[in-house]
Amino acid sequence: MSYFGLDRIFKLMKTIKDYGGLRASLYKLYRIDNLRPGRLVATDKFGNKYYENNAYFYGRNRWVEYAPKYGLDYDASQVPAEWYGWLHYKTDYLPSEDPGRPKYKWMAEYTENLTGTKLQYMPYTTTNPKIQAWVPPSKK
Amino acid sequence: MSSSLTKLYSLSKTGTRFIRPSVNVMNRRALGSEPKDGYIYVNAQEPSMEFKDITDRAAQTIFLTELVRGFGVTLGHIFKEPATINYPFEKGPLSPRFRGEHALRRYPSGEERCIACKLCEAICPAQAITIEAEERADGSRRTTRYDIDMTKCIYCGFCQEACPVDAIVEGPNFEFSTETHEELLYNKEKLLNNGDKWESEIASNIHADHLYR
Amino acid sequence: MLRTALGKALKGAQLSPKHARVMSQQPKKPEQIEVFIDDIPVKVDPGTTVLQAAAMVGVEIPRFCYHERLAVAGNCRMCLVEVEKSPKPVAACAMPVMKGWRVKTDSEMTKKAREGIMEFLLINHPLDCPICDQGGECDLQDQSMAFGSDKSRFTDIEHSGKRAVEDKDIGPLIKTIMTRCIHCTRCIRFASEVAGVDDLGTTGRGNDMQVGTYVEKMFLSEMSGNIIDLCPVGALTSKPYSFTARPWEIRKIDSIDVLDAVGSNIVVSSRTGEVMRIMPRVNEEINEEWIADKSRFSYDGLKRQRLVTPMLRDNTGELRPVDWEAALLTVAKQIKNAGANVGAIAGGLADAEVLVAVKDLLNRLGSEALCTEHTFPMDGSGTDLRSSYLLNNGIAHAEEADFVLLVGTNPRFEAPLLNSRLRKGYVHNELEVALIGPKVDLRYQYKHLGDGTDVLQQLIGGGHEVSKKLKSAKKPLIIVGSEVLERPDGAAILAVIQKLSASTKAQEGWKVLNVLHKVASQVAALDIGYNPGVDKIRENNPKVLLLLGADEGAIEKADLCDNTFVVYLGHHGDHGATIADAILPGAAYTEKQATYVNTEGRAQQTLVAVTPPGRAREDWKVIRALSEIVGAKLPYDNLNEIRDRLDEVAPHLTKYGEAENANFFKQAQDLAKNVKTQLDCTPLDVKLKDLSDYFMTDSISRASPTMAKCVQAVLKQKQSKF
Repeated sequence: MSYFGLDRIFKLMKTIKDYGGLRASLYKLYRIDNLRPGRLVATDKFGNKYYENNAYFYGRNRWVEYAPKYGLDYDASQVPAEWYGWLHYKTDYLPSEDPGRPKYKWMAEYTENLTGTKLQYMPYTTTNPKIQAWVPPSKK
Repeated sequence: MSSSLTKLYSLSKTGTRFIRPSVNVMNRRALGSEPKDGYIYVNAQEPSMEFKDITDRAAQTIFLTELVRGFGVTLGHIFKEPATINYPFEKGPLSPRFRGEHALRRYPSGEERCIACKLCEAICPAQAITIEAEERADGSRRTTRYDIDMTKCIYCGFCQEACPVDAIVEGPNFEFSTETHEELLYNKEKLLNNGDKWESEIASNIHADHLYR
Repeated sequence: MLRTALGKALKGAQLSPKHARVMSQQPKKPEQIEVFIDDIPVKVDPGTTVLQAAAMVGVEIPRFCYHERLAVAGNCRMCLVEVEKSPKPVAACAMPVMKGWRVKTDSEMTKKAREGIMEFLLINHPLDCPICDQGGECDLQDQSMAFGSDKSRFTDIEHSGKRAVEDKDIGPLIKTIMTRCIHCTRCIRFASEVAGVDDLGTTGRGNDMQVGTYVEKMFLSEMSGNIIDLCPVGALTSKPYSFTARPWEIRKIDSIDVLDAVGSNIVVSSRTGEVMRIMPRVNEEINEEWIADKSRFSYDGLKRQRLVTPMLRDNTGELRPVDWEAALLTVAKQIKNAGANVGAIAGGLADAEVLVAVKDLLNRLGSEALCTEHTFPMDGSGTDLRSSYLLNNGIAHAEEADFVLLVGTNPRFEAPLLNSRLRKGYVHNELEVALIGPKVDLRYQYKHLGDGTDVLQQLIGGGHEVSKKLKSAKKPLIIVGSEVLERPDGAAILAVIQKLSASTKAQEGWKVLNVLHKVASQVAALDIGYNPGVDKIRENNPKVLLLLGADEGAIEKADLCDNTFVVYLGHHGDHGATIADAILPGAAYTEKQATYVNTEGRAQQTLVAVTPPGRAREDWKVIRALSEIVGAKLPYDNLNEIRDRLDEVAPHLTKYGEAENANFFKQAQDLAKNVKTQLDCTPLDVKLKDLSDYFMTDSISRASPTMAKCVQAVLKQKQSKF
């Protein structure tokens, strides 16, 4: 069977089934340019899904599927800080299991790179003006 | 099917054995892997003018064999696993020491770490950092301005090396490209916000590296 | 840091000319003795210390407690050096050299001693250099790099045993972090020897020793800022400067202080277009290496209440910001309408360039109504003879005097550095001081002769108890405050004093008569030919009145006609700006290259440290621009050309750094005989009596929050039971 490559076809069909049918798989292929079988490792708070399949070579064996809400506006900076290390192969710990990851109450909610949107960062001065001008006393 | 494709692929690769005459072999000899006199002849070789070689060349030109072999290579690669990664869904390996976007960190209590010692400003080879400081109401030494011109920065990491309190760090993020220049003129608020956003990853990186520093 | 210290030591060792003069008078010069510093032979006078001898051959011996202007304490032990055949290392700063000594400053024993001392110092010194303001200019940092050990034996990682000392509140100017103190006692010696305030001292012994004020008291003095410079570590730092800048990122510009008439040499440190701090610059002729607190700390007044844009009074009577074009056109129109009926009053901070530019402009318009805000008697010689309005004998020579009569002046607050000279003479030279005027605290003993003008008459008559002393003194000084000469009977007072000084038997070249001015511009203004006092303005009632930073309220709106158009050219919104109809923003002394002449007649120039804020421009350039619109174009376009004009008016104005002598005492006295005015019987008075009066005297220091805090601190101190 493997001689004719039929195993690959079966695998593909299984992957399509796993991903929720032909239609969903075609959409996924359109969106991600890739349709690969993988183990769903976890879903983060934004709805991004993280997959792993160690059958692929190191560097391709972990991937993220951006949350459906992003549609085609997915962006590399939508991966939150907690998942950044795992996705970049810095650690094998999942964020929930990693002992080196603190959780302080002052830590800010992750935001993607907002350039080009209304919420983009614009520089402003954080100091007071250096020269205080004289204001003439009003007659009134 | 796959095995037959593999055959085709290997054929395209080793095709010379079947189709190519000895031109190549001869050339290789002429180039010589280990020339005795110590020189390698690198100029264009005169093609062999023996009748056999001339007919060979003519036949290959007529039958477009190189084109066919080229198609073979291409066809073979279509079915191979690609060597590139599918960014932004897959991301390449990074070191915990990676020097990306800057961030100002806080102590676990939430107090900002930076004490305005200005060592980072002094060491910055690109002079990208500007600091102004004054005494805060509680008497502690704090910055009022901490600006980094990210377009001047050369990401050398000297600032985080110079920092005595691990306040300024080059975080892991490299996905901060912007549409305009001024968005990259970071001020203190932006840097502190970066620290708050990335603390999880920054702390993890420092933890991963703590044995070596 | 070390290098400057070395330079100073060298200078001190070579002795200044005036000391040399003293030496030459002595009958026999003691024989010089030869010593060897690191095998370099050097001949020195007996009594020279090892450290001074080493400095002569350029060998630097590290030190913390030693300071060439203070008494030797010898308690830091950093200067230990090996002397051949001596079993123990000796303290170089305190040990006089003996004949034939071979001093080894680079031997094993010396190195070991230094490393040991440094280790002891560092054991109890906190490692907080990143937050220490002294970081980068710290003697302890530098010397631990140069002379300390390269390895540490300090193992107390639990931080259990380091000494910690409570910080003291010694006022709004000096911040104390006493844990950093290395007990060099320089601050204590400065306070008691130079400032004359015995508030600082040590308590406890050994590890428990603390420098402090004994009781909860603030260290308030008009010279207190100097202990910041003296402190070799970061124990005493400047409060207004705290945490704002680092020494390596600062641009340093040599300049001149203009907040009093002494003209102290200063270094203005600036960064990002902002004056960060002001420090003294060594000038043996004027301020040695000290400056007064007002000069040092009132720089934050340069950032507040500034005039940054031209303004015009609109129909509703409000001042509105306008651009330069509108302002200059309006002012020029008014001047054209006024014709020759234009006047000018120069305030205390006006520089010589603008003074001469205004004078040239008004003269071209046909007006002579050029006045200074501060009066000076015009009867007698008036301001024609320079010797009658200068501190003729110079500031530096005041310490050599053997009898000083102060008339109607409080040098402690009018010229703190002159007072420190007098105190130096009092401490080291057995100088006797007598004072006529209100009884003030000069921080040294003096004889108070009362505050009536009758005392002057008695002195002339020779019937007074101090007349004899005045007559017999070889180096008598009579210092008269410019303030009493502003009285209606000022001419009479000056005449009496001229007579009195002529009656002394001073040695050759010693000038007895000295006038102490209070503002920086006065001498230059009088040199250029301004009329002292604003009487002329009151009489003429000009249609356009130009105020050159005149903020002392010498003339009020009520003194002028209703239709007088008042133009204010200056840098601060103070009294003058509020009565003005047009405001032309000028540059403060840190923002222009300008000439000032101090009270001893020494021309000095300020340099540009920062640019003028907003649309403000250098004062003389404003006048130059105005002159063109008025139609009386002044013939100078740049600084060199206006300096050439200054040179024409009075050549000494461009001889920077040199005090131009004046020597027409006799002629002045002859002219003084014509003085008609009689001595008044109102008592002599000075404005600056108390420390709280000292801090806010001009538009810059009045705008300074630090100076306001100082005044508050003095008032608070008075409430305190100590």
